[in-house]
Amino acid sequence: MKDLAIGVSGINAVDNPGPGVGVARSLKEDASLRARIIGLAYDAMEPGIYMDWVVDRSFIMPYPSGDGAAYFDRLAYIREQHGLDVIIPNFDAELPLYVKRAAELKALGIATFLPSMEQFKLRGKDKLTEVAERMGIKLPKTKVCTSLEQMHEAVEELGLPVMVKGSFYKAYAAYTSAQAVGHFHALVAEWGYPVIVQSIVSGEELNVIGVGDGAGGSLGLVGIKKISVTSLGKIWTGVTIKHTAMLEAANRFIRELKWRGPFELECIVKGDDVYLIEINPRFPAWVYFATGVGVNLPARLVRAALGVDQPPAPDYEAGKLFVRYSYELVTDMVKFQQAVTRGEVG
Amino acid sequence: MNRLSQLALSDEGFVFDPQTGDSFQVSETGIAVLRALKEGRSDEEVAQQLVAHFEVSPEEARRDCTDFRSQLKNFGLA
Repeated sequence: MKDLAIGVSGINAVDNPGPGVGVARSLKEDASLRARIIGLAYDAMEPGIYMDWVVDRSFIMPYPSGDGAAYFDRLAYIREQHGLDVIIPNFDAELPLYVKRAAELKALGIATFLPSMEQFKLRGKDKLTEVAERMGIKLPKTKVCTSLEQMHEAVEELGLPVMVKGSFYKAYAAYTSAQAVGHFHALVAEWGYPVIVQSIVSGEELNVIGVGDGAGGSLGLVGIKKISVTSLGKIWTGVTIKHTAMLEAANRFIRELKWRGPFELECIVKGDDVYLIEINPRFPAWVYFATGVGVNLPARLVRAALGVDQPPAPDYEAGKLFVRYSYELVTDMVKFQQAVTRGEVG
Repeated sequence: MNRLSQLALSDEGFVFDPQTGDSFQVSETGIAVLRALKEGRSDEEVAQQLVAHFEVSPEEARRDCTDFRSQLKNFGLA
């Protein structure tokens, strides 16, 4: 395989980290890929820009707003100047544009490996009832609300406390009606309608990371339990697990939806019952955990994006521990200046 | 597969449940009981084993086995 220039966004390895650095590190660890990582950043302070052992060259990108014309012009520039064979977008907000313009990127010679728009919409929280049914698992009692009145009715019916969720992003617990109203308004202002009201299910919070091949097959799955999380709810320590029912549900998700691309399933498990909480259509920030236990999903995704044959998904051991840590690097101010003035570093 | 047989048990008494990621610490006696249960021995056989290895009466050993079983049940492991 020739050297590959791979664009990776989400290199903001901060207290609420994006998945990009974990993705880039995974790609670098697969020596046969010979990956040259192109960091796609939005801010000169994103730590990945300065982690030159993981990210080879970084570019400050315009926000992917509107039709994304400026964003995609920037990608075309990067492709022309430095090469860009594959992109792995890692931010929720980027995904609709990438999904919409995947064919255009392909015509430019840039491969992606993403779900279709139809699949992308199915993972919306207002569609989870249908998806959970197809996966053969449960969903906490859920009401989809398009008015404040409907939300009050939902809270009345489900009983407090409840989770109040935006249709694609953000979720808040409400312990009083007043809190539910506050969350409802905040979510509508940020994400629009509908707002989802869901009963809270107690149990173990377990997660699965995986990549679907788009034809119903799996390119790899790893199940984990978060042992401790930060005040922002981000994993700090975790352990690999093999919860049979949850992994079977993940396989059904891939098979039933013919899911193409990366995903993370967030589940609550209570005894043998598995409840679906959320589907993220991208790698989670802890993606390197899977790589560390021998399932290098970003590398497998890149091969799939390029149509390269690869062996079946590798297995992993339960009981492997993940520990995140803080680290500092010291570099020259010139790099920061380059990021600010030229929008390019490396 | 039986949940008990899946449990990983170290010589130091650290127990890891690969289904849920839960971990537990058991005493020396707990290690002996859990090992025997994982091998599929009956409560009576486990109690006899405890009597043979620890200074304990058959009644006390049976009671300990019953207690241990109910704790396993509480954790959804038996």
